[in-house]
Amino acid sequence: MSETVNEKTITGRTYWQSLRELSEHSDIQELIEKEDKINGFSRREFLGLMGASLALAGLAGCRRPVEKIIPYVVAPEEIVPGIPNYYATSFQRGFDALGLVIENHEGRPTKIEGNAKHPSSLGKTDSFTQAEILNLYDPDRSTGVLHNGDSVTHEDFYAAWNKLYENYVSNGGNGMVVISEASIAPTFIRLKKEFHKTFPKAKWIIHNPVSEENVIQGVKIVTGKTALPHYNFEKAKVILSIDSDFLLMESGAVRNAMEFANGRRVQSEKDDMNRLYVAESSMSVTGGMADHRLIVKNNQIADFTVAIALQMKHQGIAVSGVDSLATAVEFEEHFIKELVVDLIKNRGKSLVTVGRNQPEHVHALVYAINYSLGNIDKTVSYYSIDNDLMPNANFIENAAASTVIIIGSNPVYSATKNSNITNLIKNAEHSIHLGSHVNETSQQVEWHINQTHFLEEWNDAQSLDGTLSITQPQILPLYNGISNVELIGLMNYGEFTKGYDLVQSTWKNIVSGDFDTEWKKTLHDGVYSVNGKSPQKLSIKNLQFNGEFKSSAHDDIILELKPSASTFDGSFANNGWMQELPNPVSKLTWDNAAQMSHRTAKKLNVKNEDVIKISNGKKYVLLPVWILPGQADDNITIELGYGRTNAGRIGNNVGQNAYNLMNADGNFLIENISITKIGTTYSLACTQDSHGMNDDKLADGAIQERLPSIIREATLDEYKHHPDFVDHAVHHPPLKSMWDEFEYDESPQWGMTIDLNVCTGCNACTTACQSENNIPIVGKREVHMGREMHWIRLDRYFSGDPDNPEVAIQPVACQHCEMAPCEQVCPVAATTHTEDGMNGMTYNRCVGTRYCANNCPYKVRRFNFFNFSKDMPEIVQMARNPDVTVRFRGVMEKCTYCVQRVNSAKISAKKDDRPIKNGEVVSACQQVCPTDAITFGNILDPESKVSKTRENNRNYALLGELNTKPRTLYQAKLRNPNPNLIKQHS
Amino acid sequence: MAQLFTKKANIIPLYLLIGIILFILFIIGAFWYWGSPYYTDVGYQPEQPVSYSHKFHVGELGLDCRYCHVGVETSPVAGVPPTQTCMNCHAMVKPDSDSLKVVKESWDTNKPIQWVRVHKSPDYVYFDHSAHVNAGVGCVSCHGHVDRMNVVVQMEPLSMSWCLDCHRDPVEHLRPLSEITNMEWKPGANHTEFAQDLIQELNIDPPTNCQGCHR
Repeated sequence: MSETVNEKTITGRTYWQSLRELSEHSDIQELIEKEDKINGFSRREFLGLMGASLALAGLAGCRRPVEKIIPYVVAPEEIVPGIPNYYATSFQRGFDALGLVIENHEGRPTKIEGNAKHPSSLGKTDSFTQAEILNLYDPDRSTGVLHNGDSVTHEDFYAAWNKLYENYVSNGGNGMVVISEASIAPTFIRLKKEFHKTFPKAKWIIHNPVSEENVIQGVKIVTGKTALPHYNFEKAKVILSIDSDFLLMESGAVRNAMEFANGRRVQSEKDDMNRLYVAESSMSVTGGMADHRLIVKNNQIADFTVAIALQMKHQGIAVSGVDSLATAVEFEEHFIKELVVDLIKNRGKSLVTVGRNQPEHVHALVYAINYSLGNIDKTVSYYSIDNDLMPNANFIENAAASTVIIIGSNPVYSATKNSNITNLIKNAEHSIHLGSHVNETSQQVEWHINQTHFLEEWNDAQSLDGTLSITQPQILPLYNGISNVELIGLMNYGEFTKGYDLVQSTWKNIVSGDFDTEWKKTLHDGVYSVNGKSPQKLSIKNLQFNGEFKSSAHDDIILELKPSASTFDGSFANNGWMQELPNPVSKLTWDNAAQMSHRTAKKLNVKNEDVIKISNGKKYVLLPVWILPGQADDNITIELGYGRTNAGRIGNNVGQNAYNLMNADGNFLIENISITKIGTTYSLACTQDSHGMNDDKLADGAIQERLPSIIREATLDEYKHHPDFVDHAVHHPPLKSMWDEFEYDESPQWGMTIDLNVCTGCNACTTACQSENNIPIVGKREVHMGREMHWIRLDRYFSGDPDNPEVAIQPVACQHCEMAPCEQVCPVAATTHTEDGMNGMTYNRCVGTRYCANNCPYKVRRFNFFNFSKDMPEIVQMARNPDVTVRFRGVMEKCTYCVQRVNSAKISAKKDDRPIKNGEVVSACQQVCPTDAITFGNILDPESKVSKTRENNRNYALLGELNTKPRTLYQAKLRNPNPNLIKQHS
Repeated sequence: MAQLFTKKANIIPLYLLIGIILFILFIIGAFWYWGSPYYTDVGYQPEQPVSYSHKFHVGELGLDCRYCHVGVETSPVAGVPPTQTCMNCHAMVKPDSDSLKVVKESWDTNKPIQWVRVHKSPDYVYFDHSAHVNAGVGCVSCHGHVDRMNVVVQMEPLSMSWCLDCHRDPVEHLRPLSEITNMEWKPGANHTEFAQDLIQELNIDPPTNCQGCHR
């Protein structure tokens, strides 16, 4: 690398956000040149459009539009117009469930929050859950029943099923194949059992494209029982994550993130924190949090696990089955040795976890490792899963059916192409699909039935630890759909039974005591019997591996598929919030790409955005290249969930469908691929440089000097020796104001702290803010021009070795400076200060000069270049928060510290003649944050949480040397590297 | 060369200048007058689907505002009553009256009555009825003498400067909380002292920063 990069800065680190920035001085530059290929309007088109709009503008009169007020006919008792109601519900997600509280405005759900009483959500949620609001109001949802593509009624379908039902009851269900998504919800389980009783010969296949199959199978190999691990990261002092993104993508991520953060939170220099080792092939959110990260090619992850087991044996800790193992791959021996020393030193307080995409024998070995380390039932416990609820990825080859019933999943899109799902449907006499959209699968079936969203249905849910909860509808089904349990009920009984009755009859066998009381209490609280199950006591078998572990020491290029942090398995493809959400690591939006290391790119002779053809036999996809730091060499990573053809107006033809590359085994690791350069380029919309505080035009040296003051960090050891290290990142003369400063001494004064030490960069705050504050979706073209509207962005900085960098994440929203540079330049006083210390934005005053955005050193102001919200279909408008103005073209907007929440708390406090209570105002980002990194409150109340976090000696003001006096403070990041492994900085 | 213009023509530029100035003043004045809410909004009196008379129900029968507008003390929205509220009485009282036809129809078909909004603040303004009512601002201050209206008409401009006048100096619009809905209440001789006491007692401090209403 060049001199600049190696140059020592104040903290001895250099930071960069993108390879482009780093490469000004390097030979990587030529690889990542970007071609800007936006097709704008031609001048002729532009003038034509302008003329037309002017003509129309003249026609629209100045007459006041007539607006209607439509009251109820009979007012529901519990609704007072203007005051939101909150109802608990829950949401089954595979083998876990999230407890939720939904904000309803006049019967219209608008915002999803976590239910603090629920042990899987702990009051928090993630981006996916936040985005469910938009899924509910998706204008492309299926609106009825289709028979061979023709619109018919539900009754037609019930009648048709009734005929089949008689037939199948008499032959025991011979020829019936049901495909459903994984679930452990009580009513689902009960109805499934009944189904097998009614139709003993029928087949039921559980299919999820991203599933826990390998995890369960692995546990089965080693214990003989089917069970899933339930981690307790809070108790773990040393954590080794093997290709497991447990902070974002794995099952239970919301709870994992909170417990991991609790083990990492440092209040003062006296506290300790956990240590995270990560071995992975492509950078994940978890990898970004690592204290030590080892890059391991995806097909060598198994070898890495073997190396750990062998090293444990070497250090005198026997691991079951290890005698039959060997690895030909050479890992950094010093690293493995010290890692194992650390694990053994913390026996019973360590934890090894492995990702769901790794094969089952790796899971078996990891179980044995945890067993030998004494971690079982301490940092990881196991909960049993019924054998017949096991997911099965490569299922369809040997199935044949006269009737196929597909509940919820979309196998035509997501199953492997040689699984013959299409043939299964075609050869069946009857095929039925329950789905929220008329998607790829619905196109091929005889009957499509529209499915309810979970916010519209009676259902129930169970989290892995046995916590039961009820899913209660927040709104009547928008399109009269039916739920998964209602369809199974129909299959079982031949006639339609309401979800409410189905759920109630399940719960009559669950609750003890008076049913009505317990039922109502459960509905109110959102949970029943927290931790209802106790962990399964598992005994370990003598493991014997017979060649399952194959050493892969070759340097052929391999392909790794993984679920997308935006579209997951494809189910969020039609959700604009998720499509526009920058990937936590690559910061790409609206596309998937072939991610690779710069060495691999050089080997293939490709640059960023060059399109390559990745072939696996006859199957192939064409994808643009994206070079990413921290990626294993010879390891291409592609996100799944893109390339939908029947997702809807947002998701159709966005990215490429990487499921197409999978082999029949359904494995996400694909070897023996071939890659050819096509010779064209494709432009990707990446947000990493969009709102940089390190302006590209600044001299390079200045950037490098500035970054260590923007993102401050130290090792735990340095912190303990220099608790005041943050104050030494920047030295400046005493700050003097040019003006008389306003005294903000009247309570309340609002402020925020963000703990960079626990922020994982999961994006939940961005989506929650988008949902709370009616932030528009702008589309790929606008993102490409740096016009994304997110009020809170997550700056991701790399530092250290460009091949295996360390990551630091910094959420940046408006800092609410007391001496705000934006206010000083606004010619119309559209942005002003409130007396409680918030930097306000008055949209109707704004004339769109954009001076404020230019003068903002934090680059947090967003401009409405177009009327992004005006032409939204009416149904999408139902997702809007009525307490926040929907912005129009030509105005500036930015984080308001959720002024609508502040104001409503103020008004209710005043009505009750009391001061605002501590903790009464919670900002949307704070409320969602799965690691509690964000704290908001009254900084003049000495009891408030934010006052306490502001006392922390790691606090610093971002660009405080500019004397902007921001109200948001950051707590410096800490790393906890193993002293024996600290890399020598050059 | 002969003079192209006569000497008289020298005056034309002056006339032109005066004309242009007058024209500009007229344009400004026109917007000032015909564009202001005092002209555009005050007096707005749309026809309602039901010929409900506040004058009769409130002025003569003496119904309290809160019998129908139930949210006014608790919610940002005062609320327009559901059809049910009408039928509470009219199931018995004059059930066959012609004026009641639309209400009956709504009741029978379960379809809501579509009232026409009279008082409207723009979408970028957040007005909270409960905040005002609980701070001693009476209905009549903003809505005028609704008890004397057969058809509701907008009496005040509801413009920003009009709001701010009161927010800056609320004294003359304050009244005892018990008299909020009393349209006939008149301030006493020592009103200023009373208002000052109320401001102390209820901690009345109307926001004048932008974010008090714009969010």
